[in-house]
Amino acid sequence: MSKLDDLIDFKTGRQKRVIYSDPDIYEQELEKIFARSWLFVAHVCQIKEPGDFIRTFMGEDEVLVVRQKDGGVKAFLNSCTHRGNRLCKADHGNKKTFVCNYHGWGFGTDGALNGVPLEKEAYYNKLDKGKFGLIEVAQIKNYKGLIFATFDEEAPSLEEYLGEMKWYLDSWLDAMPEGTELIGTAMKVELPVNWKLPVENVSGDGYHLGWAHAGAMTVTSSLTVGGLEVGNTGTDNDGAVSVAGLNGHTVLAALDGQSGYGFYPDPTIPLQYLKDNRETVIGRLGKYRGEHLWGSQINLTIFPNLQMLPGLNWFRIYHPKGPGKFEMWTWAMVDKEMSDELKQMILDNVSRTFGPAGLFDNDDGDNLQAITEQSRGWRTRQMDVYTNMAIGGEQTRDEMPGVVSDGLVCEQNQRYVYRRWLEMMNADSWADIPNYNSLEEARATEGK
Amino acid sequence: MVQAADDVYLALQRELFHEARLLSAADYDGWVSMLADNIKYSMDMPQRRFIEDKSNDRAPKKTPIFDDDMAALKMRIERFKTGFVWAENPINSIRHIISNVEVFETKTDNEFTVYSIMEVHRSRLDAERKRLTAGRKDLWQVSETGYKLVKRTATLDDGVVLDSNMNFFF
Repeated sequence: MSKLDDLIDFKTGRQKRVIYSDPDIYEQELEKIFARSWLFVAHVCQIKEPGDFIRTFMGEDEVLVVRQKDGGVKAFLNSCTHRGNRLCKADHGNKKTFVCNYHGWGFGTDGALNGVPLEKEAYYNKLDKGKFGLIEVAQIKNYKGLIFATFDEEAPSLEEYLGEMKWYLDSWLDAMPEGTELIGTAMKVELPVNWKLPVENVSGDGYHLGWAHAGAMTVTSSLTVGGLEVGNTGTDNDGAVSVAGLNGHTVLAALDGQSGYGFYPDPTIPLQYLKDNRETVIGRLGKYRGEHLWGSQINLTIFPNLQMLPGLNWFRIYHPKGPGKFEMWTWAMVDKEMSDELKQMILDNVSRTFGPAGLFDNDDGDNLQAITEQSRGWRTRQMDVYTNMAIGGEQTRDEMPGVVSDGLVCEQNQRYVYRRWLEMMNADSWADIPNYNSLEEARATEGK
Repeated sequence: MVQAADDVYLALQRELFHEARLLSAADYDGWVSMLADNIKYSMDMPQRRFIEDKSNDRAPKKTPIFDDDMAALKMRIERFKTGFVWAENPINSIRHIISNVEVFETKTDNEFTVYSIMEVHRSRLDAERKRLTAGRKDLWQVSETGYKLVKRTATLDDGVVLDSNMNFFF
């Protein structure tokens, strides 16, 4: 048993609060989790033409994701190889050459060092420019429009990393023939919160909806997801599931095929879109996903830091900035086939509900900040917190992969997120990180 | 652009200060009475782009923080009134500071363009203090019941919002 094992108890659903505040644990997270996982870096729609780039983060490392002349995509550390200056300060744009502001070293979109001022006079033409190209990520891969990268050469393929989670992801990414796109720019907010708290919240916490968001639920009124209503009273969870045991990835899903649009002031237009296209989607995904997942309110979590909510159409990544701080970037994501009118309606709704002034988002910040702060004191950091709801409710269902529990008010998913966290924190290499996509596999690999 | 007459300038500056006091006191019914029914209330935040960047047609449109009509504003206000917005209980201290007011005539006799800078100070809990600044461009209209705000377009100065909620108006 390692020192870390005491931090998480998967069976009883217990975590030590110190994981939200300890600087040493955070340093290990950067190394063991962020430097080894496949992390979302860009949507293909953000970098369409050669030279198009996005500046983003992998953990605390700043990277540039650049469309290549041959149509491929590369990602580099956004740092000059000479003295380490930040190479590019823009959020996005198009460049033929990235020139460092310090001494003028110039790098091509392929990362090669092409230009060095005073190369002849100061370096006597002896600088081996081939050795000073930008530092590339170890692996980069596109999954149905989402580009992921990892710093770890040993990481399994992206397909294997996503595993059976692909079945759920496809219910959005591959539902319509032309796929998805992000619309608008990222809404960016910095929060004084440990990065794991929003992840666990969206991964499985249906419990807080009726209480933490009571004000927003009251005024947006039309939402009734899986029997959950304002005031935490509704726990009749027929028609909704929590799914985990998918290598740390999780799903929280209503299964009614339309509830995601219940937040809309006028759901007529999105519901008509679902009606008009449901047959197409059934043709592509089959009857079960076409009827029950497509259009439903679903929370998808790709471990460790990417979350998307088809139905509400938001797409979000968390960039850690120390144990007590992260940046949250939120976009609206839509099907390309949607009308401009519907896309605009979705963009407005994402901003109004989950933007920086979002009716719902503005309820979460204070709670998660307070938890972070209540994990810092000498006494509080020794204490535990719990995700011990619905223990023993795990099932297998024929119609869907993963470990399934009934309902949205269920803490199964958080337990699996922290199980994955511990597995990665304890592992010396990917060879020691178990691979599981079902209840049987999850049980067989538990504690290994 | 033609500067408005001094009496108009003074009257509109008085409106801005009055509005700021209502917003700081969270007197939202009082505030709504200063808005035209067809109010268009919007705010966005900057993108960091190279001056010479040529990807304009491919670049994404800025996502607004606020892009509200009267119905949307009232929904936000109704949320505050539910008594369920736990983040605002106890009441937090907030100051809306208005500066750099300029008033110009428009092509329409009874409408004026008003530029101002707003600085919001928020003090919460113990030693938590946040400061947000934004530039505003307004359209104010003279109506039978006095000046009404018809349109406000604001840009927050930060590329990343440095507060965990925006439970206020600007």
